[in-house]
Amino acid sequence: MPDNTENLIAGLVADLKPVAPLRKRAGMALAMIALGAGVTGMVLLVGLRADLRSGEPDPIALISGDLFLVLALASFWAVADMARPYVGVRREGWGWTALMAGVLPAAALVLLATTWLHGEPTQLALNGRDCLLFGLGWGMLSAAAQVWWLRRGAPSRPERAGLLVGVGAGAAGIFAVSLYCPHSDLVHIGVWHGLTVVLAGLFGRIAVPRLIAW
Amino acid sequence: MIADDATLTHLAGLAQQGDKAAYGALLGAARQWLVRYYRRRVMPDQLDDLVQESLLSVHRKLASYDPARSFAPWLAAIARYRFVDHLRLVYRRAEDELDADFHADDSDEPAIVARISLERLFEALPASQQRAIELVKISGLSISEASATTGQSESLIKVNIHRGIKRLAALIERG
Repeated sequence: MPDNTENLIAGLVADLKPVAPLRKRAGMALAMIALGAGVTGMVLLVGLRADLRSGEPDPIALISGDLFLVLALASFWAVADMARPYVGVRREGWGWTALMAGVLPAAALVLLATTWLHGEPTQLALNGRDCLLFGLGWGMLSAAAQVWWLRRGAPSRPERAGLLVGVGAGAAGIFAVSLYCPHSDLVHIGVWHGLTVVLAGLFGRIAVPRLIAW
Repeated sequence: MIADDATLTHLAGLAQQGDKAAYGALLGAARQWLVRYYRRRVMPDQLDDLVQESLLSVHRKLASYDPARSFAPWLAAIARYRFVDHLRLVYRRAEDELDADFHADDSDEPAIVARISLERLFEALPASQQRAIELVKISGLSISEASATTGQSESLIKVNIHRGIKRLAALIERG
């Protein structure tokens, strides 16, 4: 056994070429470029919301869009680091950010429940499915960039990495959509925009691990 | 004796810059650490393969090591991943054997199609890499059996499998 391994080591040493270490900032920059491309594509395709065009942004839409943006950035950061495996490293920042963004769907559910209890019509906008589909679609750009980055590295927890790729991509996609989406009511944002992130996280958790296996 | 982590960290940084002497020393120390790590976790007949698989992973994924951090936690993460992957393969193999018993009378068509596709891809590989992959990964021979069959050394078999699979993956990705 020792001789065989010695020979293998000799073969690997002979095969060695200089390699540039993966830098976390490079992974983050890549995801940001994908996010920027998604936002630019969305704005060029369908334009900005009326309140943004007029320079008087709606506060609810602004705050919720920013929350999804922060969630996307926190997830990107964690994924960028996951390409470099280390035992004992804790990457929990994204979880707190997700919890913070989770306030939106939680508030939406409370509002839905109270309107239902009062016998009033719910405020669920009909075209929420468009936000969902466009959010998932634009999020694919960020997902592709992050998967490419992870494939260059050695993610040691592929299921967690897949979940984070999905959450980051969904949040990035819905941030891009929120620049156009004309609805600024909390129920629409909490339910449809929140659902986009949840579904993207599930897709990522299921589909990404097999793409980044090494 | 295994070198201390500061030395290994220094060696790993040099290895990333292409220093072969440092890399040889690093892999030697990594091997000792891996033997100790796996000895408590796998059957003795699987130890050698797992250590060598892990050393190949170290080689393939050297860029994922951050020279600003300690080397030992990186190596431990590589070892843990390979160990989990090993368990998954053992589990799948047992499941496939059960499945084969259930479907013994099914058509062989998918296997034949897969075989034809593989042979097309194999045409792009040198003969030594084709033979190594065919014997170990398709026919299921052990490394030592493949070595005895082909006359290639065991380490050369491993290197040929590693390079061949890397090339096949690139061919498949290119479509």
